[in-house]
Amino acid sequence: MNKITRSWIVNGEPREAEFAPVRRLLDVLREDLGLKGTKEGCGEGECGACTVIVNGQPVLACLMAAGQVEDQAEIVTVEGLEKTETGRILQQAYIEKGAAQCGFCIPGMIVSSYALLEQHAHPDAGLIRESHAGNICRCTGYEKIVEAIQTAAERRAGNTGS
Amino acid sequence: MSTKAKASKRIPRVGQGVARLDADEKVRGLAEYADDLQVPDAWYGYIVRSPVSHGRLRALTLDPDYDWSRIVVVTPDDIPGENIVDMMGRDMPFIAHDEIQYRGEPIALVAAPTRKQAREAAAHVRADIEELPPLLTLGEMIDRYKRDPSELHELCAQTIRKGDAERALEEAELVVEGEYRAGHQEQLYIEPQGMVAVPEKDGSVFIHGSMQCPYFINPELCVTLDLPPEKIRVKQSAVGGAFGGKEEFPTLLAGYCALLALKAKRPVKIIYDRHQDILYSTKRHPVWSRYRTGLDKDGTIRALCVEYVLDGGAYTTLSPVVMYRGILHAAMGYRCDHVWVDGYVFRTNTFPSGAFRGFGAPQAVWGLESHVDDLAKACGMTPHEFRLRNALREGDVTPTGGVLRHSVGSPAVLTQTVERSGFVEKLSRCSHGRVSDGKWYGIGMSFFAHGAGFTGDGEARFKAKVALDLEPGEDGWPVVLVRASSTEMGQGTFTILPQVAADGLCIDLNRVRNPYPDTKYVPNSGPTVASRTAMVVGSTVYGAAQKMKKQLEEYVTREFTGGQAVQLVDGQFLTADEKVAMTFEEAATHHFQHRGPLRVYDQFRLPDYLQWDQKNFVGDAYPSYSWGCNVAEVEVDPRTLEVNVLKVTGVYDIGKVLNPVLAKGQLEGGLVQALGYAVMEKIEIKDGLFDASRMQTYVIPTTLDIPEFDLDFVEFPYEFAVPGAKGVGEIPMNGLGPAIANAVEQATGVRMRELPITPETLFAAMTRGASGPLLRTGTA
Ligand code: FES
Ligand code: FES
Repeated sequence: MNKITRSWIVNGEPREAEFAPVRRLLDVLREDLGLKGTKEGCGEGECGACTVIVNGQPVLACLMAAGQVEDQAEIVTVEGLEKTETGRILQQAYIEKGAAQCGFCIPGMIVSSYALLEQHAHPDAGLIRESHAGNICRCTGYEKIVEAIQTAAERRAGNTGS
Repeated sequence: MSTKAKASKRIPRVGQGVARLDADEKVRGLAEYADDLQVPDAWYGYIVRSPVSHGRLRALTLDPDYDWSRIVVVTPDDIPGENIVDMMGRDMPFIAHDEIQYRGEPIALVAAPTRKQAREAAAHVRADIEELPPLLTLGEMIDRYKRDPSELHELCAQTIRKGDAERALEEAELVVEGEYRAGHQEQLYIEPQGMVAVPEKDGSVFIHGSMQCPYFINPELCVTLDLPPEKIRVKQSAVGGAFGGKEEFPTLLAGYCALLALKAKRPVKIIYDRHQDILYSTKRHPVWSRYRTGLDKDGTIRALCVEYVLDGGAYTTLSPVVMYRGILHAAMGYRCDHVWVDGYVFRTNTFPSGAFRGFGAPQAVWGLESHVDDLAKACGMTPHEFRLRNALREGDVTPTGGVLRHSVGSPAVLTQTVERSGFVEKLSRCSHGRVSDGKWYGIGMSFFAHGAGFTGDGEARFKAKVALDLEPGEDGWPVVLVRASSTEMGQGTFTILPQVAADGLCIDLNRVRNPYPDTKYVPNSGPTVASRTAMVVGSTVYGAAQKMKKQLEEYVTREFTGGQAVQLVDGQFLTADEKVAMTFEEAATHHFQHRGPLRVYDQFRLPDYLQWDQKNFVGDAYPSYSWGCNVAEVEVDPRTLEVNVLKVTGVYDIGKVLNPVLAKGQLEGGLVQALGYAVMEKIEIKDGLFDASRMQTYVIPTTLDIPEFDLDFVEFPYEFAVPGAKGVGEIPMNGLGPAIANAVEQATGVRMRELPITPETLFAAMTRGASGPLLRTGTA
């Protein structure tokens, strides 16, 4: 099949990838761009471990054909979070609260948290739970994850004075 | 002496909720799991599986029209050693060659340059199989058991005999009977199984991947590959959850990869997709238990007769030890002089059942703690009064005749949970299916123990070994490396063991690391199972750290202070008058320059008074027990019969709490798995295969299913070894199922005897009519 080329802004940097258009975004990120932080837990849109952000929206990279992602699209994966203030606050809160156990769900989980906080500065516990209902974690029972997101939201709001 | 005592241990690390040492790499997406490992030139392995549940393999042929030139095929003829998986029973071939015992059993292995090619090639291996009648479900198995157990293939059996329970049953004023069932449960770690095997130039094999127990894989592969132990190196990658699912199963995967890699003469990796993982990996053993209990009307338990029967699937694997732990917990927790327990595991023609957090105990406690509510009811007592009256206490005797000598968190966990949850007042508000408007409310409890460490004399015979290495770190500063075979799978090993080592040495935690276990460097501290890491390996790490501390103190005394004794405190060597002689870093660096790195070993020891008769199951079944109590509050919608778990209160004695943040995380995570087991997770056998193969059909709790938790610890430290931890990994799985079932009874008036409790099963039970306890009176 003919390969196509795309230029994306991945984690703030211009990246180019050439691939058969039906390949999954997940594989292009992991194999071609070397971004192995994004995980495959099910490959069929049911666990959320592969969550990345495309143009501000969280998407499941296992369900998306890479060809669907337009030229110049902005992609954020777990590796890019530390370049943003929200990302760093979230990482710190996840660490302090003990929100990661085995860590396999975390790349998708924390990217979902990032998407939430970028859109809602003051999410309540209900919204946090709803916005993360597609991110399955088998280790934590979610308590410490919700706590971490709440803490991060408070700190972030404090920083920006919003 | 007095200055020494005063000076020692100023910065305790144990007991502090320090952040996980592996958290940073995990929140940044840097941790390398099996599928993230860089393995140049690796081919992909795939397993050719039997399409029938039971049969005889007559012939295996390769499709002559298929191009096999870039494919490697492994059949039993390619196995250099024995075609036997060296687990208990030794009844499972690595690759079936004669009789086939389950649908999905490996009949050949293939490897190809891509995953797709490997899968395609597997479809071109043809098997000629003569079909035989299979036995497929727990239901059929129990029907036969009740009719005539000799119709079944027994994989293993064991009894406990204390007193004369049948006679005491005859003489009791009341007899209460009950039967309880629960099906398979899938571990559903989010990282699927994954393994890589790399053949090395010197004829050795390097195994790298997702596993709980590196030293399970090493000895097994010696048998299969006919290689000496030093030719098999096994290393753990980051593990994305395990819960027992990566205890014995990865040994098979390592074998498949290694056999293919040796024949292909290149690395081979197998990463299961979710379908393969659910369909073709171990699950929790399905259980059926029957209780017959004799009581006096005043609530004294006179006799306990228990049958505890597990569906082992096709082969023995770990079933004996799962059943042992099951029968040891099936009557545990209450005073009773006459206890008989009969444990059996029978074969069905399904995927072999295996390890899952709790390891037979959750199945046992499910029956026992449901039954105890029936006992309370039969003698007109409330659930907490009855439990409090009969609960074992310090000095009491267990069902196997062991004496609970020390660190007994009973009845403390019970009284505290009752109080914290407001159980007494709330019990009077339960609906009993009688409120016509609104939801039905119910509250229920369970009380349980969990043996810490291997069952019986396992730890005494095994003698876990650990080492500590003091060597220069990457930054040039000295680091202490914990060398244990205990793996990190999310539960916190790589944080608590360094905490314990830092405490034992009395140095800063940031000078301690716990690298991924690699059999090239770590002695055998045993598998990461059985809630043994904190107690057994932890206390051995502490012992090693104390040894290293002493050696460094002697070194400094000899080399620097002219014989004046020093003590290592908070990373500094202090003389008797509390003057700083030098820092830990200076002394260690000096040691590297003049003596090289330092390695110390230690070995786990048990008190001599522990006795165990493995044949008759008499004595101290475990070195110590953790204790717990759960109260669950539920709401049942009378129209939809949906059970909503509102709140869970729990108090646990896990001994010394090494890290309260991590320990709470274990409780919460374990309780949510137990919640799934109780009201959501259902997987059955259909045509010999599991009827769910994806996360949409095997549904586990999400953020929206979580009840309110109120959890606490009460510490009764294990007295025989510092730091006194007992075990937290498994106990959260034990009690929530029956607590919820007991709450459902208080809400609806119906006793549920099968897990999971779903609207369908609840509806069926309600239309059958309230199935109260089977009660006989005054047979004496
Ligand atoms: S891997 Fe994409 S949702 Fe599970
Ligand atoms: S931390 Fe293990 S799955 Fe979430």
